Amino acid sequence: MAKKVVALIKLALPAGKANPAPPVGPALGQHGVNIMAFCKEYNAKTADKAGLVIPVEISVFEDRSFTFILKTPPASVLIKKAAGIDKGASEPNKQKVATITREQLKEIAQTKMPDLNANDIDAAMKIVAGTAKNMGVAIAD
Amino acid sequence: MSNRWWEIVIFCDPVLEESVFWRLEKFGCSGTATQIKENCPLIKAYIPEIAVRLLDLAALSLWLNQDAILMEASSPQIQWHLIDEEDWASSWKQYWQPTKIGDRFLVYPAWLEMPTEEERLILRLDPGTAFGTGSHPTTQLCLESLEMRLYENAEAQTIADIGCGSGILSIGSVLLGAKKVYGVDTDPLAVKASRSNCQLNQIDRQRLVITQGSIEELMEESGHQAFDGVICNILAETVIDLFPLFDLCTHEDSWAILSGILLDQAQAIADIVEGQGWTVAALWKRKDWCCFNVRRSEHVGKRVRPT
Repeated sequence: MAKKVVALIKLALPAGKANPAPPVGPALGQHGVNIMAFCKEYNAKTADKAGLVIPVEISVFEDRSFTFILKTPPASVLIKKAAGIDKGASEPNKQKVATITREQLKEIAQTKMPDLNANDIDAAMKIVAGTAKNMGVAIAD
Repeated sequence: MSNRWWEIVIFCDPVLEESVFWRLEKFGCSGTATQIKENCPLIKAYIPEIAVRLLDLAALSLWLNQDAILMEASSPQIQWHLIDEEDWASSWKQYWQPTKIGDRFLVYPAWLEMPTEEERLILRLDPGTAFGTGSHPTTQLCLESLEMRLYENAEAQTIADIGCGSGILSIGSVLLGAKKVYGVDTDPLAVKASRSNCQLNQIDRQRLVITQGSIEELMEESGHQAFDGVICNILAETVIDLFPLFDLCTHEDSWAILSGILLDQAQAIADIVEGQGWTVAALWKRKDWCCFNVRRSEHVGKRVRPT
């Protein structure tokens, strides 16, 4: 059908657990999107990724119908997974809680590449490395 | 008093987006919503009012600024304010009201109780993921075209709806009395929505058959019969790709309704239609969109409304 996108919204949500509470309700409700229909479809498509945050990009059309595509998990989620930790440091400028290798950093950057605002793998690695640094995760050379 | 939420709004350099997400998650926000403004992300996150104090929000702001410094990015703009909790699960429904379309249809949201007296044909819809809710100009133009095409002799006509979306045009055809309708869509979610809306309107599945696929699957499902009418409300590019196949699934007196076409694409569609020996009987316009009523034969004898 004739589709003209009126809003493009990215939501980062726990896989399989979308519900009408914020951020879903306020983000989609203002566009008249059927929130329960979105939650149902998102949860069905991410049920096998429980425990991860799976961002989703939703295109809302003129007639308030919508489609969505799933994106790669946030860099921080992939960093925690690679480092084998549950959370980052409380004071990352003073404290290092884990280390990942440069190879792991590159792998995360490659995974994230399609969704990052980066032109090449070096720029993507720089963004991921910055996020790791803010989390108190060091990069081993 | 209802519960309230802190809405935290962060406008930042794109390189900070990932880092901001982590910081918000650590702060206790479950998820974020992002829209792009002036090429930069505008991130919104929420946390219940009772979960944090103003001092915590100020600390979050400091952390976000420090993260930006560490990543050599410009400082993000950070604001927070309280919003009242709503029944978000149903508040979106306020945007959906019964809508009269053409002379005969009333598109009716599924959750409203059916009116006891209504002269119009009630087309019930549960708006969801699939396109075709009745509020788009092309859907309206197609329903109005169907009213014209099925004004007489509807019970003798078999119709194909290519790109059926929510099923609104297929269901509309059945409500107008079409003998049988075949709907097809490449999107499995649209197929699901069509079938569900078909049930909602209590339409016999023998009379409205929904299949996943395109024209080939449609022809197979219908036993390669020639359709009396074909509806194709997708996009101009798709109409251009599919129209050459219309000769294979129609007969010499068939008609077609083509939409999903922007006004500035109308000439290209007219060229394709006429180049294939079909006749443009009418071109209807609404807002930026148009709808072609075309027929395969040359004769002029059917009712056609002026544009």
